[in-house]
Amino acid sequence: MHGYGRTTASLLFLAGLVVMLYALFQALPFGAAPMQVGQEIVSRAPGETGAANIVTAILLGYRGFDTLGEVTILFVAATAAGLILSGAGAGDLPKAPGGFILKAAADLLFPFLVVLGAYIILHGHLTPGGGFQGGAIMAAAFFIPLLASPTSPLNHSTAALVEGFAGTAFIVIGLASLMWGEAFLTPFLGKGTLGDLFSAGSLPLLYLAIGLKVGSELAGLMARIVEVGGKS
Amino acid sequence: MTSGANTLVLPIVLPLLGAFLLPLVARFGDGLARALGIVLVVVNIFLGWTLWSAVGTEAAVTALGGFEAPLGIVLYGDRLAALFVAVLAVGALIFWPRAEHGGVKAYTLTLLLVAGGSGLVLSGDLFNIFVFYEIVAVASYGLAASSGDKAGFGAALRYLVLGALGSSLVLIGIGLVYAAAGTLNLADIARLAPEKLSGTTGLAAFLLLVLGFGVKAELFPVNTWVPEVYAAAPMRVTAILAGVVSKLAMVVILRLLVLVFHDPAAISLLMAVAIVTIVAGEFAAYRASDLNRTFAYSSIAQLGLVALALTIPATAGILAAIAVALHHAVVKPAFFVIAAKWRGPLAGLAGGARVAPAAAGLFVLLALSIIGIPPLPGFWAKLVLLGGAFDAGGAYAFAAAVVLAATVVEAAYLFRVVARIWQPAAGAKPAHFAFSDLSPALLLGVILIVATLFVAPIGTALSGAAASAADAGSYVARVLPGRM
Repeated sequence: MHGYGRTTASLLFLAGLVVMLYALFQALPFGAAPMQVGQEIVSRAPGETGAANIVTAILLGYRGFDTLGEVTILFVAATAAGLILSGAGAGDLPKAPGGFILKAAADLLFPFLVVLGAYIILHGHLTPGGGFQGGAIMAAAFFIPLLASPTSPLNHSTAALVEGFAGTAFIVIGLASLMWGEAFLTPFLGKGTLGDLFSAGSLPLLYLAIGLKVGSELAGLMARIVEVGGKS
Repeated sequence: MTSGANTLVLPIVLPLLGAFLLPLVARFGDGLARALGIVLVVVNIFLGWTLWSAVGTEAAVTALGGFEAPLGIVLYGDRLAALFVAVLAVGALIFWPRAEHGGVKAYTLTLLLVAGGSGLVLSGDLFNIFVFYEIVAVASYGLAASSGDKAGFGAALRYLVLGALGSSLVLIGIGLVYAAAGTLNLADIARLAPEKLSGTTGLAAFLLLVLGFGVKAELFPVNTWVPEVYAAAPMRVTAILAGVVSKLAMVVILRLLVLVFHDPAAISLLMAVAIVTIVAGEFAAYRASDLNRTFAYSSIAQLGLVALALTIPATAGILAAIAVALHHAVVKPAFFVIAAKWRGPLAGLAGGARVAPAAAGLFVLLALSIIGIPPLPGFWAKLVLLGGAFDAGGAYAFAAAVVLAATVVEAAYLFRVVARIWQPAAGAKPAHFAFSDLSPALLLGVILIVATLFVAPIGTALSGAAASAADAGSYVARVLPGRM
């Protein structure tokens, strides 16, 4: 009985939320949102930041501080998960190898994934993509070999080193602006020519830091889960 | 923008930098990592103090990245923000985690909690506040589980589920505000709120934001995680979460009330939530079977008092909220220090005064202050709250009556424990306190007594902070100088 009561309460809550949000969004002008900030950013971004990809201009320029926070959320989650999983203890790895085909494919894929990840990170200010996406691809590059041959584990020590230095680099780039009397994270190094690889000042450097951090963090976290999972 | 205001970012990014570096520093020894963490927390106390003395009535504002106000993200440092940056750091310093509960990872999470919490009170941008709220939330889940036992994992998991629900509600609330106002900057929203957020949309957004932030602020009905987590987490984590982190969410609700939501319906709604939180908290505390749960429920009731204070109009309400919150931040962690040693059913506390006279004496002092016996600071905090409520009249007089009735219940369950401690031991004696076990609580007891002696200057200082925090006009003028 108790279980039914809880389910009913949850369903009622969800139904109420849906009805309320439906009614509210009916009242809001669909497709004609008051884009005061949005419009202004779209018209000013290329000139102010030098980034051809406006999403990047917002992510690393106008709302760069949010992005630092988001990188941090990933870091907090990985640290918290690490704390909980370390209690479980890194046990014996599953010894069964992934088989010849998977192993050969993993070895072949590795360089391509690294190059693709690096490309997407380094072109984040020009084309869709960037540090988060490229970082996830980089993480896959290091995680797939682990699935194929579980006996050669990921080097957690190196991953943690890359992660720590990448996070530090983001903040140091931000703090550098304080030295010449500007606000935290003010872009520097000039804007360059719109659309060039070397443009948008320090924004690509931030994306590089994000890419390395996300990549090492994600690879480390997934490897940790595999290791602990192999134990139980 | 003066270059001095640029340093406003430091209480957020220095602990963050430390958190990124800590796993690397730990290669040269855990002790070094611990030392670096503690140094950074001390630096944050200093930064909070510097900000407090630098700002006076005129708040410091910095536009991050050099992108001016409604387009970029701003930090707004007034005395209220400075106060909570410092209080959070002091709490983290006193209750820095022990090596056996999570080690370097727990140090890292504590630094992230300090960074995120400082961001929460300094940020002047609604979405940026959400980002910091998430950092604080996830760090809390990890720390809540750091006891490493099954009870801790279970409590942390349920905390995570409820917290995730809260974060989603906050996000939907922010979505509604953005859909209606088209901006995320708090000052810009404040400027547009009378026109865009006065109707049903605004009320719904307020409800969602209060419920979402209410998970951390321990408001009814999203506070069910509190007793379990506070009982299962390591004592030092419980002390920080109950003492300080819950108040940071209240600071966010305070900013929202001052700047954005003036609708009488929104105020009534928060008042109803606050009254239910107080009543439910005090009665649950009365029924609780052990000290940890008693204090967890009592903490809920105290945060209900803070929320109630926030509904009282103008400076009086904000002053009362800050006073009750600060008093609770001193008293409740000390209570949890005592509860950490005296676990188990309340009946087992008989003979406590004989085994540990210092702990028993401190318990009486804390109990008297939280009930509100003059001349202890708790009395002044409650007096400001009741005075503000009676001055406002109407429904506030009813709320004041609820507060008085709740105080009677509070006195009943606390004196019941005091009586138990002074009874002769029946069976097994309660645990003895080593000096190092009790020292954080003794330190807080000393702070309480010092505050009693300096209650007048503290009152004046807090009034100034409350007055500038209540001034929505100057907030908008400082952040958007060109648009007034």
